[in-house]
Amino acid sequence: MNVLEVESLVVRMGQQTILSGVSLAVPQGGIVSVLGSNGVGKTTLMRAISGIYRAASGSVRFLGDDIVRWPPHRIVAAGLAQAPEGRQIFSNMTVGENLRLGAGPRSLAAAAGDLARVFGLFPVLQDRLAQKAGSLSGGEQQMLCVARALMAQPRLLLMDEPSLGLAPKLVRQIFDLIATIRAAGTAILLVEQNARAALRVADTAHVMESGRIVLSGPAKELATDERIRSAYLGGHIHRSEA
Amino acid sequence: MARGGESPILFDIFFFQQLVNGVAIGLVYALMAIGFTLIFGVLNVVNFAHGEVYMIGAYAGLLAITAFAPPLFVVVLIALAAGALTGFGLERIAFRPFRRFRDEASLKSKAMREATLLSSLAMSIIAREAVEIIMGSNMQPIPQQYLLLQPVQIGPLTFASGQFLIFGVSVVSLAALQWLLNRTRIGLSIRAVANNPVGAMYVGIDTNRTIVATFIIGSMLGAVAGILVGLYQGTIFPGMGFTPGIKAFVAMVMGGLNSIVGAVACALILGVSEALATNFIAQGWADLIAYSFLVITLVFFPTGLFGAARERI
Ligand SMILES: Nc1ncnc2c1ncn2[C@@H]1O[C@H](COP(=O)(O)OP(=O)(O)OP(=O)(O)O)[C@@H](O)[C@H]1O
Ligand SMILES: [Mg+2]
Repeated sequence: MNVLEVESLVVRMGQQTILSGVSLAVPQGGIVSVLGSNGVGKTTLMRAISGIYRAASGSVRFLGDDIVRWPPHRIVAAGLAQAPEGRQIFSNMTVGENLRLGAGPRSLAAAAGDLARVFGLFPVLQDRLAQKAGSLSGGEQQMLCVARALMAQPRLLLMDEPSLGLAPKLVRQIFDLIATIRAAGTAILLVEQNARAALRVADTAHVMESGRIVLSGPAKELATDERIRSAYLGGHIHRSEA
Repeated sequence: MARGGESPILFDIFFFQQLVNGVAIGLVYALMAIGFTLIFGVLNVVNFAHGEVYMIGAYAGLLAITAFAPPLFVVVLIALAAGALTGFGLERIAFRPFRRFRDEASLKSKAMREATLLSSLAMSIIAREAVEIIMGSNMQPIPQQYLLLQPVQIGPLTFASGQFLIFGVSVVSLAALQWLLNRTRIGLSIRAVANNPVGAMYVGIDTNRTIVATFIIGSMLGAVAGILVGLYQGTIFPGMGFTPGIKAFVAMVMGGLNSIVGAVACALILGVSEALATNFIAQGWADLIAYSFLVITLVFFPTGLFGAARERI
């Protein structure tokens, strides 16, 4: 069964068409990765799924509901959370307040279990609870961003370039974490520039180019695909071969 | 100040009385300035109808007094309720229609700032004219038994009973606000939207609901300030919100636009400066102080007197 089914999603900004008919699915407990170079529309896709951008047409089915017209807060409440590009944490608020906001309308007591789980994954956040989120290091902010999304008890977690700007050691940690989160039963839709690492952790992968998916397949196969190798070294994929 | 060997009078009584008067009026400015600051925080706009919220609070209190002469605390509660309703309506009519998109660029855009500047100004004129038509443009006296001008003697000092009410209600309101903003979900949401509106959407905060709540809370504080001043000064009139509105606005700018602590501190500085200045200059000129402060702030402290406190609610 699929947690998420995106069908022919089209997003326009003014005259410009940013997404021209994207379709993909995330199975229960699966990790699906979306790859592609800068500006092809990966973040736009993630934002449209979370309800932050309005889709011009197409559908987004999440756990059976068509959520494409839902406001973002309703989508989060339904169990679809995102660790967005640029982190988007509340820099003037404390780490604890950020996590509490992630927990949604539930009381602190009700969210205590999630808090404990998140501290298990990110012990460093526990030491920084009363500290302003903006004063964390870049890596710690990235962890807070993921932790905040996990506080929502998501069935599906969208991650937009979680390894961006992190040192190699932290990148490895983030990818280990992705595997851990999946093992706990949360499905993941992962956007990454680091294609090699993404293909190692994902089950399925899609390659985007200028607003559409041009190549899809099991991650293992794509990892050995000549077109992928050239793509993430900067080359281009020929649409005719998609 | 009681250093040995000096005069037996411990402090200048007149000076101290003026200080107390200044703190009282400063607290009124502070209650109003918080409304400006909260709304500026979440939307980056100035609510030009805030002075009319203050006026409506005072009239709601007066109407209640003339209708059924309730106890004082009920008068305050009615002003709070009127403020809540006014804030809710104001957001619906003058602000929400200009907020059609969800991304940050349009949530805090220049176009929206200009549109709501005009729509809130229009609402302020409509509110003032409507009250004038219904209640008359003249000063409305507060009935004797509600006037809070009974002198209270403490040692050599004389206070008006209204000053105690202003202190009491302001301190309770400020404490309640701190609790709300730091401990409740809706308060955290207000701070989150002020801090990062896009981030707020990602964590599932209902932005519209949060904005409505901000207007309600800010307007409750503004309305309660109005009735307090009405009871203390004894008269209310349709244009009563204008001057304190300007003072509160100046306090917000001095405080750094987004800082509640800064706005409250600057409102107190402003109130005390005005009261003390009446020693040296005529009453009518005291208003100049606020404008001078504004100019000095804008020229020398463009991010507010407490620069570092910026962007904090
Ligand atoms: N709000 C917007 N208004 C106008 N154009 C936009 C907007 N958001 C995105 N775009 C455009 O859409 C295109 C895709 O942007 P998007 O952020 O989705 O790319 P991306 O694949 O995530 O790139 P990157 O890898 O650099 O993050 C870009 O050309 C961008 O300029
Ligand atoms: Mg992106």
